[in-house]
Amino acid sequence: MLELRNVSKHYCGIPAVDDVSFAARPGEVTGYLGPNGSGKSTTLKMITGLIEMISGRILFDGKSIHDDLIAYKRRMGYVPEEPYLYNHLSGVEYLVMISQLRDLPARQSSERIDGLLRLLSLYDDRHASISGYSKGMRQKLLISAALLHNPDLILLDEPFSGLDVGSALILRSLIKELAARGKVVLFSSHELDTVERISDRVVILHRAKLVADDSIERLRSMMDLSTLEEIFSQLAVEQDSVATARQIAELVHA
Amino acid sequence: MRKLILLLPLQFRVLYRQFLLRVIDLEALSIEADIPRFIGQFAGVLIFVSVISALKALFASDAPPEILRGICWAVEQQHISGIMLVVGLFAVVSWDTTFPDKRDAMVLLPLPITPHIILLAKLAASSVIIGIAILSLNFAAGLAWPILVAKACAGNPLRALAAYWFTMVAACAFLYGMVLTVQGMTALLLPRGLFLRLSALLQLVAFGLFLGVYFLQPTIDNQVAMNSASNHHLLICLPSFWFFALFNQLNGSLPTSLGWLATEAWTGLALAVSGAGISLLLCYLRTMRKTIEEPDLVSAMRGMHWTPRFGSALQTAVLFFTIRSLLRSKQHRVIFAFFLAGVFGTALSSVKDAWWVGHRLPLSIDFLASSYLMMVLAVVGLRSVFALPITLHANWVLRTTQMRATRQYVAAARRTLLLLAALPAWLLAAALSNSFYPWREVMAHMAVVAIWGIILTEVSLLGFYKVPFTCSVLPGKINIQFLFWGFFIFAVIFAYMFADFEIHALHNPLRFGLLLAVLAAIEVCLWGFNRHRAKWAVLYFEELPSETITTLGITYLS
Repeated sequence: MLELRNVSKHYCGIPAVDDVSFAARPGEVTGYLGPNGSGKSTTLKMITGLIEMISGRILFDGKSIHDDLIAYKRRMGYVPEEPYLYNHLSGVEYLVMISQLRDLPARQSSERIDGLLRLLSLYDDRHASISGYSKGMRQKLLISAALLHNPDLILLDEPFSGLDVGSALILRSLIKELAARGKVVLFSSHELDTVERISDRVVILHRAKLVADDSIERLRSMMDLSTLEEIFSQLAVEQDSVATARQIAELVHA
Repeated sequence: MRKLILLLPLQFRVLYRQFLLRVIDLEALSIEADIPRFIGQFAGVLIFVSVISALKALFASDAPPEILRGICWAVEQQHISGIMLVVGLFAVVSWDTTFPDKRDAMVLLPLPITPHIILLAKLAASSVIIGIAILSLNFAAGLAWPILVAKACAGNPLRALAAYWFTMVAACAFLYGMVLTVQGMTALLLPRGLFLRLSALLQLVAFGLFLGVYFLQPTIDNQVAMNSASNHHLLICLPSFWFFALFNQLNGSLPTSLGWLATEAWTGLALAVSGAGISLLLCYLRTMRKTIEEPDLVSAMRGMHWTPRFGSALQTAVLFFTIRSLLRSKQHRVIFAFFLAGVFGTALSSVKDAWWVGHRLPLSIDFLASSYLMMVLAVVGLRSVFALPITLHANWVLRTTQMRATRQYVAAARRTLLLLAALPAWLLAAALSNSFYPWREVMAHMAVVAIWGIILTEVSLLGFYKVPFTCSVLPGKINIQFLFWGFFIFAVIFAYMFADFEIHALHNPLRFGLLLAVLAAIEVCLWGFNRHRAKWAVLYFEELPSETITTLGITYLS
């Protein structure tokens, strides 16, 4: 189980994540929601160990991840928000490098790489330079790299970004399948419909603070609202979207 | 001047400034991202070379006319081939920048800018850099030598000056024009994907060609040798001699029997300028849109993926990552190529005499020192490019997959340095050593070079607790003046001192054994030291600036 206990992170004194606590359990898909700048990606980067928190604790299976960061990284797969990749490598070279860095057995990793590339429709372009890949192809490569070592904890930051409909449907099912196999899956997304369909539980951040942490069913009944979109709007959206849209249209029209 | 500049179209001025910043990639060089500073440092080195040459003219001015004429011929050839080398290296560094790339097409084509404005702005930016190179390299020498030439030939100093400067500009225009013609024609004739692949190869070929020609071409300092039938083929193949003849033709000092060489220069210049002009125009007018239409996604090369193991998985990963980064990242390739230029230049100059004589020569201090310098340049060069990041944002993947101790990463960097820098430099020195005898001494020297390479590798790993190409670098760390002087003062002088010591030791087995033992002991100590330090070190991906607050170390004692 992944647990965050009173985790905080400040940038120049401004809180990016403020005293956030929640848990993501094995076998469950936890959706992590929040408006732009609410602190989702910062939280995920702290969970991966990429950035330091200023206070709080992050535990995985009851142990602080910083006790043995290397052992923790062996069990963690991460898809970042931005598809930052080494563009001068080809897709297959990138995955081979990841497998070597993770010290995976050569035969096993070769089979997995081939399989992932085929299943995610990257096989024909596996030798092409990543610099020529479309956004969707890069995203698929990131997903492949994150799953290559069969991680127990899967952190996905906007994983649907740039994916075509077919690939997005595969990823939806894949997330559910991975959770069903006992993995801890935490993913952030702005696609509320997708989150509603595949998440067992949602965590909502607003202005760096946690405003909801429960199953969608319970949130619906507690707040007496029918959809996740309505729940999210009530908890984390301050602007009147229709009025704002009208103002923008009037501004550019004037 | 400012008023004149303001008369130019605004679009041209804006684009010119942008392109000037992109001619040399400052992000890669990291000289505080400051183009005037970089150009200033670069020009400073060339001015120094020019001043030395001018001082040589001062010392030669008292020589008798016959000898002076020979000296002047030799120096004219050196100056012309020198400026051609500088422009050639600039062409290698700024490879592709004169032609429109996908970024230019994507950003500029949607804007109301005509392609010829873009082309002119790019040409102006390149011309400014070449102009600075010409001015700097001839800063003092371009005044002293033409006057001396006029004295040697009893000619008009002003005419000699005009002829000298025109020849320098013409030689540069010829060389740069030829490079642009070859690039432009390749871009026009080949599909973009293939062109992108071939372009990198062409860049390396051009680099080797310019260096090889410069370091291997002979000096012909008299008319008899120039007219010799045995040198005829050589003169046809070497453009620096064409422009040497052009200078003398313009100066009125060209023997009539060499008039054909000057004609070669005029023909070559006309071909290069018109070829560059036509290919550039066609590229901007015809193929600029093609760069958007044709995908950069080059079709797969099936069956080309081969990754043999070189040590542990981590060592293999770091080694291949380094090879691919060097081959595919233009910035890293170009910077490393500059160090390789030093390696090849040193190598070629060390065996030049043996090659022209046509038989083996006794082992010399020059060769011994050259082999050390080759090793220094190769190892320091690779270590220097290791420090320059590539796609810094992508280093998250190495951070999240960091599962081994720091010493294993240091071991991987060590193996990469040994395999990609020390071993090739050693093999090159070994191949060149075939031009020298006796073989026992040559073999003994190669053993010293091998240990020398390992020592340099260990020295360059001191404090290097990072994965190559993945750590940010603070601006202002690279200073060309410092590197230049550092290399000459420390490396060259030390190499010659050590070579002098070694050549004596080679004749004395006891002394040589002691030398090897001391070197081996240094190597073992450095290896042990690095290994011990790496045990406690933390791998880092971000270079932090030094603290701005200095603690005074005052402790309150209760």
